[in-house]
Amino acid sequence: MLRLLVSGLAAAALLFAGPAIAQEKTGNKPGFTLQPGTVRIILMRPSIRVGAQSTGGMFEPNADWTTQARENIMRALSSAQSTLGNEVISYDEGTTSEGPLATQYGNLFGALSNSVIEYQFFVGNRLETKKRKNTFEWGVGPELSRLKSLQGADYALFINTNDAYGSTGRKVLQIFAAMGGVGVTSGIHQGHAGLIDLRTGDLVWLNADRQMGGDVRTQEGATKRVAQLLEGFPGRPVGVTQQPAK
Amino acid sequence: MTIHRTLLIFSAIGIAATANANSLISPGPQAKIARSSLAASPTYEWNKLRYRGGKNVEIWTMDGDDLNKVTFYGAIPVGQPIFREANKKNAPLPRVTANMLITDIPALLESTYRVQLNTSQMNIDSQEPTLVAGYKGIKFTYSFVRQDDEVQRKGEAVGAVVADRLYLVTYEAPAIHFFDKDVEKFRQLVTTLKI
Amino acid sequence: MAHRPLISLSVLTLLSSSPALAQTNSTTLPTYTPAYEPRTVDERGLWMEADEDERALRDSPLVIRDEALNKYVRGVLCRTVGEDRCRGIRIYILEVPAFNASMAPNGTMRVWSGLLLRVRNEAELGAILAHEFAHFELRHTLAAFKHQRTASDLFAWAGVIGGLTNTNVGLLQWSLVGSIFRFSREQEEQADLLSFKYMAASPYPASAEADVWQHIMAESDETAIGRKKKPRQHYIAGFFDTHPTPLNRATYLREAALRISHGGDSNSAAYYQATAKFRPLFLADQVKLNDFGGTEYILGQLASTNGWTGDLLFARGELYRARGNPRDLVSAAQFYGDAIKTGFSAPEARRGLGLSLLRNGQVTDGKAALTEYLLMKPDASDAKAISALVTN
Repeated sequence: MLRLLVSGLAAAALLFAGPAIAQEKTGNKPGFTLQPGTVRIILMRPSIRVGAQSTGGMFEPNADWTTQARENIMRALSSAQSTLGNEVISYDEGTTSEGPLATQYGNLFGALSNSVIEYQFFVGNRLETKKRKNTFEWGVGPELSRLKSLQGADYALFINTNDAYGSTGRKVLQIFAAMGGVGVTSGIHQGHAGLIDLRTGDLVWLNADRQMGGDVRTQEGATKRVAQLLEGFPGRPVGVTQQPAK
Repeated sequence: MTIHRTLLIFSAIGIAATANANSLISPGPQAKIARSSLAASPTYEWNKLRYRGGKNVEIWTMDGDDLNKVTFYGAIPVGQPIFREANKKNAPLPRVTANMLITDIPALLESTYRVQLNTSQMNIDSQEPTLVAGYKGIKFTYSFVRQDDEVQRKGEAVGAVVADRLYLVTYEAPAIHFFDKDVEKFRQLVTTLKI
Repeated sequence: MAHRPLISLSVLTLLSSSPALAQTNSTTLPTYTPAYEPRTVDERGLWMEADEDERALRDSPLVIRDEALNKYVRGVLCRTVGEDRCRGIRIYILEVPAFNASMAPNGTMRVWSGLLLRVRNEAELGAILAHEFAHFELRHTLAAFKHQRTASDLFAWAGVIGGLTNTNVGLLQWSLVGSIFRFSREQEEQADLLSFKYMAASPYPASAEADVWQHIMAESDETAIGRKKKPRQHYIAGFFDTHPTPLNRATYLREAALRISHGGDSNSAAYYQATAKFRPLFLADQVKLNDFGGTEYILGQLASTNGWTGDLLFARGELYRARGNPRDLVSAAQFYGDAIKTGFSAPEARRGLGLSLLRNGQVTDGKAALTEYLLMKPDASDAKAISALVTN
């Protein structure tokens, strides 16, 4: 039995110690710089899901955690951006009744980021034309500026972050599974964030991370997460601590 | 199983995974598109997707198929659907039939999309006769929404039935920005089509 | 190495709950607390997700926003479950050509256009809406979620422990999967029975719910026949069925209805009128689904209530022309012709007639009908293509 255990652990270790597969990537529009100072950034309603991952892998949405995370992220974001001199405001449809059009743009941002991630960022399904150095041509077109509810702002920031914390059961399962040589991942922490120039509709920056750190349920963790999400943000401010990736 | 053998297997899998990657389509003549006699001569670069969706289907894209997508259907014979059926028993697709009129071509595409791609909203916006590689065919435009991502998309296509086989080439992209961005490149491609 | 599974079958008793099935003699409704706020962690989590989903739904391109139709559907819900219960519920009608309706834990109700096409009167619509409302009142989503979590936890553990001890836990995992689906069926039965109580207190006949299942079954048989498969209606729910099979449902609901023999007016005429504006769209969406048998059945049902009106004949023509066998093209031409005779004035009838004739080799007559179409609708989106067929 002991021999089984040892070889099981060794096998598991090998499985995870394989070739270093990149888990994080940032793309920038070449030559783009954001002048810190008087920039107004609209934060589109962030898609933030926080919950526990039950032993069997099911996502258990946790409203308190999500609300907490949303507040923490907003606070961390405002603070990170204000050190740049940027102003971050939340998107508000107000009385423009632009709901359906704004939703179409939202759906399109989703398709856009998924395409960047799928076809440019990570090895597996990249397109040849996207693999070339200094290529980052993505956008939703200049007609974006016609949305009244975005008037007065310079950029739109959209953030998606998906957290499923391994519940105790899952963590225990993980240990047992490792003993048997079965790989079970605990916790899913993925996110991406993108910045769109509202005048041209160009995607000037996208950061995608399949394995994010920072427990967003705490203020400290949210700060770390925001720092990761904003990794490579154009015109990176002085004074925000550079944390190692994990 | 020894540790060494385990390592070998993983590296072998690694190699296999890159073998059938997406490929580059350079400007110039391209033959045997969709494993058929279809040929075209683009003046721009395109990417050809590894994923096919059917025996005689080939997909080209600029930025990814959710953002722009050219689909070639080559020589689909009578009795066959245009793509591989996902669920033959419970969601059978309509087939190419003998004596199809040109107006039956967009109807076939629409019905196929409604059954298999969860497209519950679709409209054929215009239809006019055209020559496709010298054969009498149809050019049509359409708009649709799939339930999975709810992005409003537009399409433009040409098709013809030649010797009881359907040849169809479609271009689809989101209505906001993307359709207009590359539609001329698609139209250029169509002028060079050979069957 | 032990061959006994580490998790005994007694664990399964944790998961089974015996539904109070047979209490159909009592038709008194439970007391209802409106403005319920979710309390437990799980419940709040589900409501929050439902709220986010509803935000997306509100601006979706698939929603049908016609005021009159929405008002009518809401009215039917309120007449069925009562004003107290229907207050605060948001209803969204979606253009999806299948029979379904659902309810989220935060009070969002979704109704698919395929359902509006298939129910034959107000009572049947009310019965389905009442059923969905019952899930909401019984807070089923939460219970289902909890159950699924327990079952899937056990599933994962069984797999791991089985791996460690080299035991075959295959059978145990299979029965765990079964228990997830069986619980769902119990919920459906509970919802059916509560909604039955609403119906009993409503102005509608209690048999409406049983009727709906009856004709949904019949449609599914016709779909199968149309696809050259054997029609079959099980009595016992299959292993993966999340709903009691329609036959089972129809039977217990019919029995319950007979027991209380509550009459009422189904309001067919009002229903037909209220849905008239959208029926051509819903029919067109249905015809394009390549389901000959099922669509024929639906058309037949509509005709049995209101006769073969022009729009139904037109839709039938479209259906036969789509299948396109030589005999079908002859029938299609007949149906379009009949539609025109009833006074159906849409130019598309002549278009369909012309195309059917042309395809079947009756070139002169076909071209004549197409020419009439072009005269009636010179700016048609396919005018140029149709002209080409005429001048060929």
